Amino acid sequence: MNLGILVWRNLVRRPGRFAFTLAGVAVGIAAFVALLTLGQGLSREIRRQAQGLGANLVVTPKGWCAYEQISVLTGEQLPEAIAMTEFAKVAAVPGVRTAVPYLNQRTAFRNRPVPLIGIQPKEMQALQGWRIGAGRYFQGPDEEGVVIGAAIAQQFELKPGENFTVRGRPLPVLGVLDTTGTKDDVAAFAPLPVVQRIYETEGKISFIAVQVDDLEKTDEISLRIQEAANVAVVSDKQLVNSVLSIVGTVGAAMQAVAIVGVVAAAFGIANTLMTAVYERRREIGILQAIGGTRRTLFLGFLLESGLYGALGGLIGVGLGVLAAYWIGPSIADNPFTAALRQSPTPALDPSTIAGVLVFSIALALLAGFYPAWRAARLTPMDAIRHV
Amino acid sequence: MSEVDALVCLQKVSRVYGRGEAAAVALDEASLVIGRRSWVAIVGPSGHGKSTLLHLMGGLDRSTSGEIHLDGEELSRLSARRLAAVRARKIGFVFQFFNLLPHLTALENVQTALWFGGYASVQARRKGLDLLDQVGLADRADRLPGQLSGGQQQRVAIARALANDPDLLLLDEPTGNLDSVAEADVLDRLGTLHRQGRTLVMVTHSSAVASRAERIVGVRDGRIDSDATAEQTLLQC
Repeated sequence: MNLGILVWRNLVRRPGRFAFTLAGVAVGIAAFVALLTLGQGLSREIRRQAQGLGANLVVTPKGWCAYEQISVLTGEQLPEAIAMTEFAKVAAVPGVRTAVPYLNQRTAFRNRPVPLIGIQPKEMQALQGWRIGAGRYFQGPDEEGVVIGAAIAQQFELKPGENFTVRGRPLPVLGVLDTTGTKDDVAAFAPLPVVQRIYETEGKISFIAVQVDDLEKTDEISLRIQEAANVAVVSDKQLVNSVLSIVGTVGAAMQAVAIVGVVAAAFGIANTLMTAVYERRREIGILQAIGGTRRTLFLGFLLESGLYGALGGLIGVGLGVLAAYWIGPSIADNPFTAALRQSPTPALDPSTIAGVLVFSIALALLAGFYPAWRAARLTPMDAIRHV
Repeated sequence: MSEVDALVCLQKVSRVYGRGEAAAVALDEASLVIGRRSWVAIVGPSGHGKSTLLHLMGGLDRSTSGEIHLDGEELSRLSARRLAAVRARKIGFVFQFFNLLPHLTALENVQTALWFGGYASVQARRKGLDLLDQVGLADRADRLPGQLSGGQQQRVAIARALANDPDLLLLDEPTGNLDSVAEADVLDRLGTLHRQGRTLVMVTHSSAVASRAERIVGVRDGRIDSDATAEQTLLQC
C-alpha cells in the first residue's frame, strides 16, 4: 500500500464522476491544443508562401489592409487597382531587377472556387522557376489557355488538352505544373492580357512582385518606387510580419477563449474534490485514527487533482492534435487561408506538448489545493462524527 | 490495591463542546488510570461520555482541560504530526461500524495501517496476510468490505488495529453491530489478545459484554461514577 494506490482507488471508485471531470479537462486542453496547432501551422504556411512568392518587395495600391496582404500570399482574389502605366514606372526604377505583375481573380469551375491569376509567362517563369509536370508552358505572352497547379489538376482530374472554363469561355489546359508545395498548386494561371480581357480589366493589375539587384539597397529602392509611381511598397519581411501579427492576434484571442475552457475544467476538478472531501469525511477520520498524517491527506487529494490534470492533459493533447488534423482543412477552406489546404501535418513540437502538459498539471494542482487543505484541516473527530 | 504499571492516566480531564449558553459538558473532570495488560470495560448510558473518554485516550480528540498521559507522553502537548505517529504505533482502534475503507480490500485495509506504521510494501503485504490469518481471514484477503459479513469485517478491523503491535487497543462498541455468534467470536479473540498481554479498553452498553473485562468503569453525566479501584490507581500517575 502506498499513496499512489490509495489515490488511484479513490479516483476510480466513482467512474462516472471521474470520467466527466476528466472529460472536462481533456476537452478544454484539446480545444487549446487544436487552436495552438492550427495557429502554428498557419504561421508556418504563411512563411512558406512568402518564400514561394520569390519577391523582395511587393508593390500594392495605396491603402491596402491586412486582408489584401494575406491574399497576396494565398493567391486569392484581389481588386485590380494598379494601372499598367504605373507598372511600367516601377519596372523602370533603377535597382529593380525583375517586376512581375499579378492580376488575382477568382472563377468557379464545376461549382468550386478556383483562383485564376493573370501573369506575364516569361517573367513569371524566371521568377518562380516552375517545372512542367505534364503538357507544356505558354509559348507567347498572349496565348489563350491556362497552366494549372498540380492540386487543381488532381482535384478536377484535368489533363492537358481538356478545357478549363472561365466565365463561360473555354480555355484549353496547356500544361500542369509540378507540385510546388505553395499556393501555386491550387491556382490556374493565364497570360495577363487574357485574364484582363475576360474580366474586362484591361490595363489593370492587382499587385507587383519585385526582385531587386542588391538586397542591401532594398529600402532605398522601395523609396525610389514610391517616388516614381503612385503605389505603396512593402518588403517581403514586412508583409510576413504584418500577416503574422494579424494571424497571431486572432490566434491568441482564440487560445484565450480555449484557456477559459481549461480554467472552467479546473473549477470542475475543484468541485469534484470538494464533493469528495465531504463524502469521504468519515474515511478521512478513519485514516487519521489509524495514523494518517495531515500531510498524507493533503498530498493524497493534491495527487488526485494532479492526476486529473496529467490524464486530462494527455488525452486532451491527443484529441487536440487529432482535431487539428481532421478539422484543420475545413477551417483552412476559406478565402483567407485557402492555400493552407496543402498543409501536410499539424505543427506541434515536443516542447509545446510538454508545456501544455505542465500547464494542465499545474492548473489542476492549483484547483486541488483548497480541497486538499480542507481535507487536511479536518480533525479526526470532525470526520468520525460525520455519518 | 497494589501499585499499577500505568499505561494510560487521565487527570481531571474535561471536554466541553460549544461555548457560552450552548456549551455541553461531555466529560467533567474525569480521572482514571489504566494499567498495562488490563482489560477495562467502560459502561454507561448513551450520550453520557463513554465514547468521548475513549476518543480522548486515543488522541482523536483534545481535552478542554486536564492531562492525559499515554505511556508517559502528555497527549495535549503533542503536535498533530506526533499525535498521528502515536496513533499509528501505540494505539489500535476498533469501531462499532467497523470503519473499513470501502474501496480497499481486506488486505489493503490492514496494509494501510502498516504503511502509516512505516512498513515497506513487501513487508506490509507479508505481515498483513499474517494478521488476517490470525483472525481467520487469510482466504478473504482480496475481498472488499462489502463482500464480507459484519463479523468478518470486525475481524479485519481487529487485524488492522493490531497491525503495528500497539500498546493499547481501544474498542468502541466492538460487538454492537454483530449477531450473537459473531459477538462471541470477537469476544473470544479479544480474550486471547488480553491473555497475550495486550491492554484493552472497551466501551460497551452491554453488561454481558462488559462482564468479559477484568475491570468495569461506569460513566454517567460525564463523570466516572463507579470504579472501586479509581482512587488508588490515581496515585500512580
